[in-house]
Amino acid sequence: MLTDFGIILIFFIVGVLFVAAGLFVSSLIRPSHPNKIKNSTYECGEEPIGSPWIKFNIRYYVVALMFLLFEVEIVFLFPWTVVFKQLGWYAFSSMAVFMVILVFGLAYVWGKGDLEWDKPKPYIPKLEDFVDMKD
Amino acid sequence: MGPISHSINFLEELQKSVGLFAPETALTVTFLLAIVADLIFRRSRNVTGFIALLGFIATGALLMSNSSTSAFAFNSTYAIDPFANFFKLLILITSYLIVVISFFSAELYHGNRKLGEYYTLIIGMTFGMFILCSSTNLIMIYIGIEAMSLCSYVLSGYTKEIRRSSEASLKYVIYGAVSSGIMIYGISLIYGLTGHLGLAEINHSLNVANLDHITLLVSGMMIIAGFAYKISAVPFHFWTPDVYEGAPVTITAFLSVASKAAGFAALIRFFKVVFAAVPAQGSIPDATWNMLGSIDWRIVIAILSVLTMTLGNLVALKQTNVKRLLAYSSIAHAGYMLMGVTVMSEIGVQSVLVYLVAYMFMNLGAFYVVMQYANLIGSEELEDYTGIGYRAPVLGICMVIFLVSLLGFPSTVGFIGKLYIFSAVLSFAGKNGQNFYWLAIMGVINSAISAYFYIKIVRNMFVRGAEFDKEKFKLSPESLVVALIIVIPTLYFGLFPGAVIRWAETSLKILVGN
Amino acid sequence: MQNFLGLGPLTWITFLPLLGMIIIFLIPSGKDEKGKETSKQLFRWVTIGFTFLQLIIAIGIYLNYTAGMTGINVEGGFQFREHYNWFTVTGLPMFGNVKVDYFVGIDGISAPMILLTAIVCFVASFASFSIKKQIKGYFAMYLLLDLGMMGVFISLDFFLFYVFWELMLLPMYFLIGIWGGPRKEYAAIKFFIYTLVGSVFMLLVIIGLYFGVHSFNMLDMMDPLKYDPTSIFAPGHGWWRNVAFFALFVGFAIKVPSVPFHTWLPDAHVEAPTPISVILAGVLLKMGTYGMLRINWPMFPDSVKYFQCFIAWVGTVSILYGALCALGQFKVGKRDFKKLIAYSSVSHMGYVVLGMSSMNSSGMSGAIFQMFNHGTITSMLFIIVGVIYDRAHTRGLDDFGGLANKMPIYTGIMAIAFFAAIGLPGMSGFVSEMMIFLGAFMAYPILTVISGLGIILGAAYMLWALQKVFFGKLPDRWSGPWDPTHKIYKTDDINAVELAALIPLAILIIGLGIYPAPMFNMMNATVNHLVEFVRIGGGF
Repeated sequence: MLTDFGIILIFFIVGVLFVAAGLFVSSLIRPSHPNKIKNSTYECGEEPIGSPWIKFNIRYYVVALMFLLFEVEIVFLFPWTVVFKQLGWYAFSSMAVFMVILVFGLAYVWGKGDLEWDKPKPYIPKLEDFVDMKD
Repeated sequence: MGPISHSINFLEELQKSVGLFAPETALTVTFLLAIVADLIFRRSRNVTGFIALLGFIATGALLMSNSSTSAFAFNSTYAIDPFANFFKLLILITSYLIVVISFFSAELYHGNRKLGEYYTLIIGMTFGMFILCSSTNLIMIYIGIEAMSLCSYVLSGYTKEIRRSSEASLKYVIYGAVSSGIMIYGISLIYGLTGHLGLAEINHSLNVANLDHITLLVSGMMIIAGFAYKISAVPFHFWTPDVYEGAPVTITAFLSVASKAAGFAALIRFFKVVFAAVPAQGSIPDATWNMLGSIDWRIVIAILSVLTMTLGNLVALKQTNVKRLLAYSSIAHAGYMLMGVTVMSEIGVQSVLVYLVAYMFMNLGAFYVVMQYANLIGSEELEDYTGIGYRAPVLGICMVIFLVSLLGFPSTVGFIGKLYIFSAVLSFAGKNGQNFYWLAIMGVINSAISAYFYIKIVRNMFVRGAEFDKEKFKLSPESLVVALIIVIPTLYFGLFPGAVIRWAETSLKILVGN
Repeated sequence: MQNFLGLGPLTWITFLPLLGMIIIFLIPSGKDEKGKETSKQLFRWVTIGFTFLQLIIAIGIYLNYTAGMTGINVEGGFQFREHYNWFTVTGLPMFGNVKVDYFVGIDGISAPMILLTAIVCFVASFASFSIKKQIKGYFAMYLLLDLGMMGVFISLDFFLFYVFWELMLLPMYFLIGIWGGPRKEYAAIKFFIYTLVGSVFMLLVIIGLYFGVHSFNMLDMMDPLKYDPTSIFAPGHGWWRNVAFFALFVGFAIKVPSVPFHTWLPDAHVEAPTPISVILAGVLLKMGTYGMLRINWPMFPDSVKYFQCFIAWVGTVSILYGALCALGQFKVGKRDFKKLIAYSSVSHMGYVVLGMSSMNSSGMSGAIFQMFNHGTITSMLFIIVGVIYDRAHTRGLDDFGGLANKMPIYTGIMAIAFFAAIGLPGMSGFVSEMMIFLGAFMAYPILTVISGLGIILGAAYMLWALQKVFFGKLPDRWSGPWDPTHKIYKTDDINAVELAALIPLAILIIGLGIYPAPMFNMMNATVNHLVEFVRIGGGF
């Protein structure tokens, strides 16, 4: 009989095999046209090499915040799934409330247009703007 | 105990806690409704405000319904007691009035600015302050402070096209971050020292173990710094004038009353639960707390108090901007209230509570009139107030009442507050004949100094410019009604303070221990 | 005297002005097409009406006053008592119960003051005809001030006393600040801050006393048996009691004003409009000495003895310094008629302090009588200055001369006031000053002799001023009529409204000078009781 750690080992091996098999099969089927850009390391659409002192587009931060939010939600969901069965409906409804609150957040972000990824239309300040300024 | 029964216990605790947490839940629901309403009714600018008002009423009803409850929630990290309830109700009334006042603000309704987030964040900030009032765990206190601060950072920069406002917001964030950092460092030191984060457990460790004197002093001071920042006590007041001057008037008023109240709630609870010896079971607790440890925290707070009120009053003398002047005056008032904390006794706490009620009415009122004047003349400079009392007489008389109340004039509620604070300080008789008569004398000297700048505003409003016969301003009846709603309690409770004193007296119970 | 609508005469006399104020607020200050205020006369007559009603009640109180009742620390000795609970909060930590009463009543010390306040307020409301701007606000503030002053004299609850004491500050600030002369802002804020500094320390003492007797009742605070023996001002805690006495004394001395706290007075007087100067000198200054008699003396009889010599010195220095300052008006700077009278007030109030320090019946009753007389005499003097100021728009002593020919009636009235101020026999001032000197001589002969110089100096500056203004040659600039168009003043001499203000005062001054007995009858029993109480130390 396997110990608990044995099960984990098997789980680990299966996981590795699964990924390897996937990669292997896809390399057989896909067309191969490598170029310089494709071969470079992927870094969220930014230049991976060079000075780190570049200006990120501010939208990244919004997306990152959103991402973080839903990522943290998973952290809460995991322990809940473990005890969900024992705690019953009360736990279910609590988590449902939690999810609804998050959905409200998503709806808010969506409604306010923060998910749109349109080209920025920068406003170039004119002289008058500074002349009229009060302080 | 197996895992299942443990989780059932946990569930019971949670269910019980959620019941106790109802007012906060109501605020959260209001917050969500406000967000959704803001998305649905895109045309309307006031709908979130009205939802906030309704939500506050519901929250208030829930608070009143369990006003005498005393229980811990969430594994003793959260105390529902009359003390917290008092502060929550006070904060709620303030928030309510702030939302009402905001409807009249020309500054906020300038152009076609969206105000959905404005009202929503006020609800959020109220929620943060609720947490702060009830927390009995250092991490919870920290979360409360942060929840409240984050909202207030945004709110103080809400009129972002005005440079002053953006500047205020940024300064607030930076100072806020520093003070939060200091506070969390203090918390970590305390944790290192005692191994606990719950206030009651720390108290227990203080009682049984002889802790390192210096470390305790340093960590205690660091945590006090976090509270002092919120109540704008010297030397953590640097943000106050700039933020108060730059933020929209409504937010200035909100910060000066509600956020200060929440800071005091946490500060008092911190001292009472952490440093006051818990009386033996069944014995009548001493009216004056028996402080644990070898550090005399009374002296620390007394010094903080003297510095705060003296600096606030002296610097206010020279101000030419009314908002900035009131900012320094609010620093001075924090100093007066710290006098009540200094004595660390039941009557001291009561005096702070009474003072806060008084302060809420008079300060909100003063800022309301400042806002109305800004609507009318577009300025908050003292110079521009010349003769304004004759152009808007009812508001002018109300302003005089608020200012003399801030000064502590008899027949206004401010006098009752001052009377109580001084009584608390004079009544203190500690061990070894320790007394704080000098503090009371400093207090009255300060109160005399403050007369000069409050009267300076009155002078500009009425004494100057009596000759020019400028046209009178037309004010809407509603805006006068709001002024009267604030002025009537200012006078009524000044003449018949029974209700306020009684309310404060029934709210003294702070939950200690487990 | 009957209660009316369930309220006693003292409540009525105090709160009538409030009623008047509300009525004034309700009357719209309508303006006609030329922008002239149409309700002007109405405001004036409402005020005169209400102060007249007050005077009627005051006279009623006087007629129904039972001579021979003591007062001071005996509740039964007070007359027209009203004692209601204002608010009570029970079961408080430390405080126990907070109980504040509406407790009013008068005895021999306060009865003359009530009369004086009613008379001076009535008279000054006539003098208020010279006020030309913001009439509505003026009379509203005037009546509020009236309320505050009356309240101070009737209160027997320290909390109530303090409320009235402070309440009167604010209208006074406005009255000097808005309707005053060129340096009004400075004078008004100076008055405000000085008085406030005095009263905040008073507040601390009140709280300290409260912790002693757990009541704000003044009479309880005079009873050593009621003190909690551990409290700070309990009998036996001599040092603290002296500190408290001193704090209160300074608070009251600022109001009197005694040297060295007198500097606000000349400024306030010079800048204040005539009727406000009248009230300031006539009533407000008396609140200081009244406060000492009502609070300092009976509550701290032990400390009074300790400070007795010091108080006598304060009185003497005030007499001489005030007189010298008044005389100094002839030497340096602008020679201001009003400033002269202001300094003479410092000097005359010094007599009161000196009399009170004597701790014997004649000195004390002389002091109280002097309070009353100074009120009437100085009111007259200020109205007199106001009369020429309104016409000539200057108060410089050098600008005048030979007015006796131009204004004979005025000169006659003025002579009465001047000679009363000097203390000529046959005038009320003589009686009171003589009593004070009699009493003070028994206690402090040398100081009294020195103070006697004050009388001589007083005669000097008064006669000098008289000579300057009324005798000699009339300057050319005043040779024509005051008011060539006869719009305001029909004749060159004093007019009927001004006479209406001056004549009653003149009658009082001469009447009481010839027959002072009614005043002394009113206060004798109380004064004797107070003297005895202080002599035995009140048991402290």
